[in-house]
Amino acid sequence: MCEIIVITSGKGGVGKTTTTANIGVGLAMRGNRVALIDTDTGLRNLDLLLGLENRIMYDLVDVTSGRVHYKKALVRHKKFDSLYLLPTSQIRDKSAVNPEQLVQLCNEMKSDFEFIIIDCPAGIEQGFKTAIAAADEAIVVTMPEISAVRDADKIIGELGRADKENIKLIVNRMRYTMSEKGDMLAIDDINEILSIECIGIVPDDEFVITSTNKGEPAITVKESVAGQAYKNIVGRICGESIPFFKPPKEGFFTRLKRLFGML
Amino acid sequence: MMNDVVKIRGLKSGLQLLLDKNAKFDEVKASILEKLTTGDRFFIRGTTVFMDKNSFSAEQTEELRRLFHRHGMLFSDKFPTATAPKFEQKAASVSAPAPPPKVDPAKTTIVVNKTLRGGQEVRTESSVLVFGNVNPGAQIIAGGSIDVRGTCRGYVHAGAFGDQTACVVADKLRPIQIRIADLIARRPDDIKKAEQAERASIKNGYIVFEPILR
Repeated sequence: MCEIIVITSGKGGVGKTTTTANIGVGLAMRGNRVALIDTDTGLRNLDLLLGLENRIMYDLVDVTSGRVHYKKALVRHKKFDSLYLLPTSQIRDKSAVNPEQLVQLCNEMKSDFEFIIIDCPAGIEQGFKTAIAAADEAIVVTMPEISAVRDADKIIGELGRADKENIKLIVNRMRYTMSEKGDMLAIDDINEILSIECIGIVPDDEFVITSTNKGEPAITVKESVAGQAYKNIVGRICGESIPFFKPPKEGFFTRLKRLFGML
Repeated sequence: MMNDVVKIRGLKSGLQLLLDKNAKFDEVKASILEKLTTGDRFFIRGTTVFMDKNSFSAEQTEELRRLFHRHGMLFSDKFPTATAPKFEQKAASVSAPAPPPKVDPAKTTIVVNKTLRGGQEVRTESSVLVFGNVNPGAQIIAGGSIDVRGTCRGYVHAGAFGDQTACVVADKLRPIQIRIADLIARRPDDIKKAEQAERASIKNGYIVFEPILR
């Protein structure tokens, strides 16, 4: 049984590609056969995050136009044998792939994988429509920020219109201290507006930036809090019930230390 | 006499034009114009004027519609349902299968059984009942009233076709902007969040929010 999941957000820069890379690696670490499809044609990034740029031979446009079989275009991850990437073209644009082609491709790939994860481009135009066409399930990524939440809401509406009812939410780049002080939208506010099931809250973490630049997703880094959050998300995708991480209340001494710049 | 070409009858929901069967369009138009310009007390702005659909051609009807609009009135060639007493209806159904009664759209309610999200719009002549939230960026434009069984954060316009008695009710009423008939209001930014259901309606020419029980 193959699950086809699209990762989308509406707004750009909230972490769709980072989430795709981390969930992909996380599922592969559990031994699943996973294919990641980058549909952000023209602005491809997913290969960079996985550190696979120099191994690309063919791309999504080559496959959908029938030039090569998809197996030839898949790039295997260097560390995790069961993780494959189908990169997209840097040269062409979103009009190069249409929804029917992607549906057909996913149908062919279904038998070889347990998970196919589609990285969706930002926006609600052609690229978005192509990316969601094949998916059975959607994960909407948002940030505790009013414009990101507004766009996520719009995207959920659009997904509903396309008859995608299985929609989950990931809140990325959460800063608990800011939301406690009321300087940032709190999780409860986001949940109340979007009212869909939340499967993970990823704290804002500098590790994500360094690991992105290195091409090693944060989930592989033990010390990263974001990596831990992604592990929990992967667990929840696999059907485990994992309690949500609660930030420990800052004690008096921690606050004092922070005040004096010792932390 | 020329004036007799058009007679006006008052209805519950507006005015009805009764036309002389033999009257020509030009005569009717002239007569209406005369009545309008002489400031007959019937013609209050925002009143709906009804006329039988088959009186004139579509073009001519359209011309009349524009004439009324210029004078601030609404025009309709669809008749409001005569609210016939029940026993009469029963009697009719015994003798012959009566056609389904036409319903005035302003008196019906449409139900939206989901959350309205950003970019989604409901536009109707009826009243609207939403079982869900109205999120920021969503729009409801209704001829009648609007009831939201959830939080209303979007843009709502009740009585969009001139009904000043329309109201907006929500469990949590904090719309971006609220309009009733031709009035516009915005919730003050610094107001204390009411935890009770609220109703917005027109009172003395202002849109007023007040808590209600339900």
